[in-house]
Formats: sequence, structure tokens, C-alpha cells
Amino acid sequence: MPVVVVLFAGVVIGLAIGVVLARRSNDDTRGFRRRQVASKEPMGEALSAAGNDAGRALGLQSAVDRLEIGVVMCDASLKTVYRNEAADALTGTHAGVIVDSHLQQLFTETQSGERAGRIVELQGPPKTTFSIDAIPIPNGGAVATIDDISDRVRIDSMRTDFVANISHELKTPVGAIAVLAEMLADETDKTVINTLSSRVVEESHRAARTIDDLLKLSRIELSHRLDDEVDLTAVVGEAVARGRMAADGHQVQVEMVDAADRLWIRADRAQLISAIGNLVENAVKYSDDGSLVQVRIRRNERWLEVMVVDQGVGIPAADLDRVFERFYRVDKARARQNGGTGLGLAIVRHVANNHGGAVSVQSQEGEGSTFTFRLPARLLGPCPEADELADQIGVQPASGRPAVATESSLPQKVSVSDG
Amino acid sequence: MSKELRSNFHEQLAEISAGIARMGAGVTELVPRATQILLDGDLEAAEYVILGDDEYDAKAVEFEERCFKVIALQAPVASDLRSLVSAIKIIADIERSADLCVNICKAARRIYSHDLDPSLRGVIQKMGNQAQLLFKESTEAYLNLDSPRAAALHDMDSYLDDLQRQFIQVIFESHAAGTIDLQVAVQLAVVARFYERIGDHAVNVGDRVRYIVDGWVPEHPHAESDNDPPEIVDSVIVPVDQG
Repeated sequence: MPVVVVLFAGVVIGLAIGVVLARRSNDDTRGFRRRQVASKEPMGEALSAAGNDAGRALGLQSAVDRLEIGVVMCDASLKTVYRNEAADALTGTHAGVIVDSHLQQLFTETQSGERAGRIVELQGPPKTTFSIDAIPIPNGGAVATIDDISDRVRIDSMRTDFVANISHELKTPVGAIAVLAEMLADETDKTVINTLSSRVVEESHRAARTIDDLLKLSRIELSHRLDDEVDLTAVVGEAVARGRMAADGHQVQVEMVDAADRLWIRADRAQLISAIGNLVENAVKYSDDGSLVQVRIRRNERWLEVMVVDQGVGIPAADLDRVFERFYRVDKARARQNGGTGLGLAIVRHVANNHGGAVSVQSQEGEGSTFTFRLPARLLGPCPEADELADQIGVQPASGRPAVATESSLPQKVSVSDG
Repeated sequence: MSKELRSNFHEQLAEISAGIARMGAGVTELVPRATQILLDGDLEAAEYVILGDDEYDAKAVEFEERCFKVIALQAPVASDLRSLVSAIKIIADIERSADLCVNICKAARRIYSHDLDPSLRGVIQKMGNQAQLLFKESTEAYLNLDSPRAAALHDMDSYLDDLQRQFIQVIFESHAAGTIDLQVAVQLAVVARFYERIGDHAVNVGDRVRYIVDGWVPEHPHAESDNDPPEIVDSVIVPVDQG
């Protein structure tokens, strides 16, 4: 029994240090920090009681086992004597083997009486980053914390990239306009003036597009007004029709597969239109000539899914989980040439989140991508009024619902031609 | 006294298998790294992997030595002997796989500055993923002495072989379309073979795990056909297996 007590005294010290570590390195995930701090108080009391209360020690074990952070203890001979559940979950996997070998090295380093720490990156998939810190215990041995900081690392890089990218996206056209204007000032040849000024117009449009999209994005981030009655089928049909127009230039076929009946949902109409429109437009943009873009609506008990499938260039696996970030571009040259602002997929993601849904992507380079835009089925509303309207094909719906009226004639056309 | 000796012996066995698992886990990380290096043309990282290979070679020699020593001094029998003899073979398989990752990095240096079209990149990524999956499974099967898991490796390897055939096909197509020149095409064909070999080594490790656990020995014709490269490759590639 004394062994258990000593062991847990050590664990408690480790925990206290773990809390300090978590506080030191963790500024952005506030929920995490709060949990850590909350667990500190009972621990502090327990520290004094643990010496004479074995029952308390058992209670402590179950407490430490519930921590998300991995805790591992070794004795004076550097043999591991305790792991909590989070640390034990890694056992038997190749990640566990790698973490263990780093742990052993760190435990050895703590023999000098100094704490030791390192960051360990695993290739995944998914890519994982662990922060491992080992602290010597005064009477021999050491305790280490294993913290999965993958999310934190991702958020950090996202933030720094965003600042760098936004200044780049705005500076490029503005810089170009400045240079072009300088050239214009000294130019007398009429044809050169024409080309230069049309370039100025082009570049200023580009800056305007970026700013528009940024404003749209921030509006979507703020808006939680989901009280339009929208026919999802119609919105998708409209997006397909627009995609076809965009595709005309380069021979991409856009079709709607198994066009469903009307699906009336409560949502923000403008947001849905821009999200689904973006997905279809993207699919067309990144498709090769002569290939096919398919759009499909699926429905099960929990979700309404809009799937956009293309046979285009695809997305490299390394970029797959970052394409929804603002301004993230897989192939910088190609994306600008296509005239995108780099915000399209970020807008899609925000719209999905706003509606309690999600957007995901599967892709294989050279084979194409599948984007799945998912809305919770609870948005579905019985819409008797609308059903009545559906019977009167071709008739404009009641004027009380102008938002629906403009598009309700479209889906029929689409479903007839593609169904 | 004798009990103490025996526990010392088992400690040695545990150390050896932990060391081998560590090497296996290291290669499991090395495969996706090599793939990423090849796709990104990351020369600096390639250099790093190439230099790091010495460590695997040294580790392989060290653990082999330790196996010999335990066999000579402790005269183990039954499953202990099986696991030691298998360890020697597994070490060789892991060490060879690390070499193959190095070879992929060297190929990355040779095709540097040549752009690969998306279909090539896609199939490279797929082969890399599958090879890593095989190695991860074999390492974890060894770590947990999980013989059913080890037995599943054969099927996973036949998918990798399919991918190799597909890769060769895509190389032909890209070369015919003129997006890659002959030099790059040959390098890529060799890379395809490297991945395929990594898969074979993983299968070997799996077979050894089954031998440790239940004394299973592969039937000969079966084992041979598994390690045969897919037919199409015979006409395309000269054996390039030197580290």
C-alpha cells in the first residue's frame, strides 16, 4: 500500500506541473484551460491528504485516468510504473512505440535534475503532434505528460497563414494598379493606353472581388437568421444551371443525378445559394475538358446531403484538410489564373456550420474530388402551402413568399432534362 | 539464483523485441515521409532521410548481435527460440525497408524539377499510403503478437501489387502523352518497385509473427508467388535492389 501512496503523491505533483505546462503553452483553447484549472482545486487538497489516505489515492487514480492529457510515471530506475488511461490508449500502436522511445530518452535526461521536453510529429494520416514534457520527482523517478497538440498547431499555422495571405491577396492587385497607373501617365500610344487601362480595370475588379468575398464571409459568420423556407432541390438546380453556363467555355458537362422531389427546409436562402453555387463552380473550374460534374441530393434520417462529384485534377492528400481555410490554395498559380479569391470553400464551410451541418471532401489526385455538403434533417419542414404550389406547375407561387417564387419554376426544367 | 538468471533472460528478450518494434515504427513513419518528399521535391528532407539511414543500419547490427548472444549464452527453446530466430529475420526485413525509403528519396532527387501530372501523383500517394498501412499493420502485429492480423497482410499486399500494375500503366500513358520524359518514366517505374518491395517485406514480417505465435510456416509455392513481382514489371524493370 505505501507504494501506491508514494506513486500517487508523484502523480499529483505531475498533475500540478501538467497544469502549469498546459497554462504556459496553451493560450488559445480556452475550454481546455478551464478544465485543467477546475481539476486543480481538489487535487491541491488531496495532496496533503494522500499521504495518509489510501482510499483517496484510489480516487485520485480514477481522476487522473479521466484526464485527456497522458500521464506517465517512472521510478528511480527509469522503469515505467504508471500510465493513465489516455497514455495507455497509445499502447500497442506504432505511435505508442515512438512516443515511448521519446519518453525513455526524456526520463533519462531528467536524471540530471532538469525538466526535459520535446515536440514529436507523426506523419499519420492524420498528422499528429505530441508535446511531451518530463519533470524529475525529488525522491527519484520522473513524471511525464503527453499532450496531443495537433489542433493547436493547426490553428496556429492557420492564423499566421491567414494574415500573410490576406495582405498578399490585397497587395498584389493594388501593387499592380500602382505600376500600371505609373506606366499610363507616361504613355501616348493609344493602343497601349487601352491595354493598360483594361488591365487596371481587371486588377481593381480582382481586389473588389476579394473584399466582397471577405465581407460576405464575415456576414455569414455573424448571421444566424435561418428562417427562409427554401426548396433545396431548386437551389441545387439553379446552381447546376449556373454551372452549365460557366462550363460552356470549356466543354465540361454538368448534370444532376436522380433529381429528387422538392425538399422544403428552413435555412438562409442567400447563404445556401452561394455555398452550393461555389461547390458546383469549383468543380467546373478544376475539371478537364470533356469531363463530367455530377450533383446529387441524398437524404437519410439524419442528414440531407448535396454531393458534388468531379473528375478533375483532384487535391493532394497533404492539402486535403486545409482546403476549407480562408485563402488556402493548393496550386497558387492555377487558382489565381482561374480568378478565384481563395474564399469560396471557406464560405461553404461557414454556411454549413451556420446550419448545424458540415462540409467534407474526398479526393484523389488525378481522379477527381467529391465534396459533400451536409445539412441536418431537422431543418426539413412540412410545407403544405408549398406542396399545393408544387401541384400547379408553371404557376408563380403566392406573392407572400417572393423568395421562393423566383426559383420554383427552375427545378422542373432541370429534373425533366436530367431525370 | 537460477530464477534471477531466468528473469534476466526474459528481460533481454523483451528489450530485443522492444528495439525491433521501435525500428518498425520508425520505418512506418519513414514511408509516408519518403512519399511526401517525392511528391514535394523536398531535397532538404530527402538529404535528412538519406543520412538517417546509418542509424537503422547500426541498430540492425546491434540487435542482431544481441540475438546471437542470447541464443549462444542462454540456449533458448520452443517459443523463445522461435522469437529470437524470427527477430533476426525481421530485423533484416525492416532494415531493407528503410533502405527502400532511402531509395525513394534518392529517386526524388533524380526527378527533381520535373513536374508530375495529377494522375501520377495520385497513384504515388495511393501506393505510399498502402505501403505504409502494410508496414504499420506488420509492426503492430509484431508488437501485439497478433497472428490473425499478420495473416491479413497477404491480401493487403495483393492490393499494393495491383496498384503497382496501375502505376506502370499510368507511367506508360503519361510518357505517351509527353508529360514526362523517358528518364523520369524509368525512375518512377523503379519507385513503383520500391513500394512493392516494402509491401513484401511487411508480409515477411507478418509471416514471421505467425511463426512466433503458432509455428506457422508458409507453404512454398504460396510464399514464392507472393513475392513474385507482377508480370508486367518483368519486361520493364531491371532489378534495382542495391541500397
